[in-house]
Amino acid sequence: MTNETAVEDQLDGGVPYRSRRRTLVRAGVPVAVGAVIAAGVGLVPALAADSPPDLPQLSAEQVVTKVLGSDTQALSGTVSVSTDLGVPSQLLGAAAGGLGAAAGHGSDQGGASADPQSKLLGLLGGDQTLRVAVDGPDRQRVDLMENMAGYTLVRNGDQSWAWDSSTNTALHMTGRPAGHTGAKAPKAPLTGVPATPQEAARQFLTGSAGTTSVTVAGTANVAGQKAYQLSVKPTQSGSTVSEVRISVAADNGVPLAVVVKSTDGSTVLDVHFTDVSFAEPTAKTFDFTAPKGAKVTEKKADEAAAGHDAQDKKGDQGGKGDRGKGHDGVNVIGEGWTAVVSTQLPTGVEAPAQGSQGNGKQGKQHGRPMNPQALVKSLGKPVGGGTLISTKVVNVLLTDDGRVFAGAVTLPVLQHAAGVN
Amino acid sequence: MSQAETVLVAGRRPQTTSGFLALFRNELHLTFRRMRTKVLLAILAALPILIGVIVKLNTDSPRGGGGGAPSFIAQTTQNGLFLVFTALAVALPVFLPMTVGVVAGDSVAGEAATGTLRYLLVAPAGRTRLLAAKFTAGLVFCLAATAAVAVTALATGATLFPLGEVTLISGDTIGFTDALLRAVLVAGVVAVSLAGLVAIGLFVSTLTGSGIAAMAATVGLVITVQILDAFPQLDAVRPFLFTHYWMSFSDLLREPMYWDGVWKDLGLQAAYVAVFGSAAWARFSSRDISA
Repeated sequence: MTNETAVEDQLDGGVPYRSRRRTLVRAGVPVAVGAVIAAGVGLVPALAADSPPDLPQLSAEQVVTKVLGSDTQALSGTVSVSTDLGVPSQLLGAAAGGLGAAAGHGSDQGGASADPQSKLLGLLGGDQTLRVAVDGPDRQRVDLMENMAGYTLVRNGDQSWAWDSSTNTALHMTGRPAGHTGAKAPKAPLTGVPATPQEAARQFLTGSAGTTSVTVAGTANVAGQKAYQLSVKPTQSGSTVSEVRISVAADNGVPLAVVVKSTDGSTVLDVHFTDVSFAEPTAKTFDFTAPKGAKVTEKKADEAAAGHDAQDKKGDQGGKGDRGKGHDGVNVIGEGWTAVVSTQLPTGVEAPAQGSQGNGKQGKQHGRPMNPQALVKSLGKPVGGGTLISTKVVNVLLTDDGRVFAGAVTLPVLQHAAGVN
Repeated sequence: MSQAETVLVAGRRPQTTSGFLALFRNELHLTFRRMRTKVLLAILAALPILIGVIVKLNTDSPRGGGGGAPSFIAQTTQNGLFLVFTALAVALPVFLPMTVGVVAGDSVAGEAATGTLRYLLVAPAGRTRLLAAKFTAGLVFCLAATAAVAVTALATGATLFPLGEVTLISGDTIGFTDALLRAVLVAGVVAVSLAGLVAIGLFVSTLTGSGIAAMAATVGLVITVQILDAFPQLDAVRPFLFTHYWMSFSDLLREPMYWDGVWKDLGLQAAYVAVFGSAAWARFSSRDISA
């Protein structure tokens, strides 16, 4: 017997033993504990998220200027990337293969596993956590924190490394790539895919003036920083993007979060810092040498530069949620939010080679010949003039005569661009 | 419990530390002197040896291997210390919770089944204290089980593979002593992340008088929860499943260490211990012990 029993017996007013009542009272304890924990878990973030900070009123131009004029050179932090594009996974695999071929290093099967392109394409599906460190235009580091594995991109002057822990492979690039002069804004190493909120915001702000309305929509707290919320909306009709919301740090103009909403109201992209510091990262962060025993693929800058051209092109289009092809013969129809990219689909002969380069998981495509038209047709649904592959933001129209039209636009815009309407 | 008993112990007894320690020591003896416990620990200790030998034989194709930790295996061939992490990653989803479920599930129900629970309660220890002692013994078993895996993994790794500087999964290289400290830290985190399961097992154990039923229910629960955790459709619920952050220990193998997932894991375990610990207490302290 315990003291609790004794105490409770006294509380019961001298009645020594009331099994049923005591059981009920005791059963209440775990329920209460559970309720308190649930309330804590539910309420604490809600309370912390509310109460937007008081900041002086600024016009949209002032906030944009703050961003473009930001002279913050060094920062480090943790970035949470959450994407929900509704892209069929087979398509991502095929796109990875296509990009590998476009970047011009498809010949090396073994080294391709540490290739940034196919890896960053993985950011397009699901949630990821990145650790980012930037110190000026020459030194950047991105750590992609995968489940029980890591993928690291480091750029330190003319040395660039990509390291994949799950395959124990590294890609080493020496020399300064042509597309990356020091004058350019801080850029994620090796790639045009927006890996930091800065990058993504800058692309939106500079790329889409004229067709866009930019307003300040209040303030918010992001990663413990006071921030202005910049609301960017397309003024053209026919776009599938309804709003891009960028949080800009009030202190130094660094964009801390980018949220893209589609016209059906769902969030398709959410990139935000969960933790950020503007102190200069230690120099050790950018010192990277090939780990002992790793398979290292060496690459020279001129070779890499060809890849960067394709990547830069891709990055520019990537701002609107489009994964450009990087093939020759790509045309852009229209401008701003309703720009449509058109190209000719490769014929079936070269397609198997592309499919096999992407990543190991695509290996099953090795043997059988793949006709891209047939693949697209199997994924899409028939519409007037061709086949439509529809995702939350990007729509792709494959016309019956083998042309491809893609953009963050509605189907009628695509059909108009294709002239099949 | 009878009315007579209640009357007998109505006065407040002094609770001494040595009294609690005696009860606790007793529980430890009971747990670790059992043949069953020894066999479980031996199986856990054999696991890293098996993994080490398999990896050694397949060094040419380090990308092989499914299950919990395909990504660590590439590092294991480079450094024997990584076998500790590989073994823990393989053992954590299935083997460790299974053994913990057996020990925790049996702790009260097993005594009830063999009829020894009554005698334990006759001793002036109190049910709450008895439960606390059983819970603590369960935690110690978690530590012992994790240590069994980690220590044999280290020994096997040192025998089969080279030791030395360790490449972390962020690509940085740290010295062997640092890496050894991280191994101890990781083992500690793994052991503590089983605490929630001990509390659940203890609660299940107070519900039934059959040890086998309690063990089966606990182990079945672990498997069910892990299956649920694999469904992306249950995204709203998954972060609250006690197995969800188990694998976050791998974040400690980055430079610098990334504690986010680990803190979430420990917080979640604390919540499970609080809820199921109090549930076990509510059930056990008001239950009629008939066997």
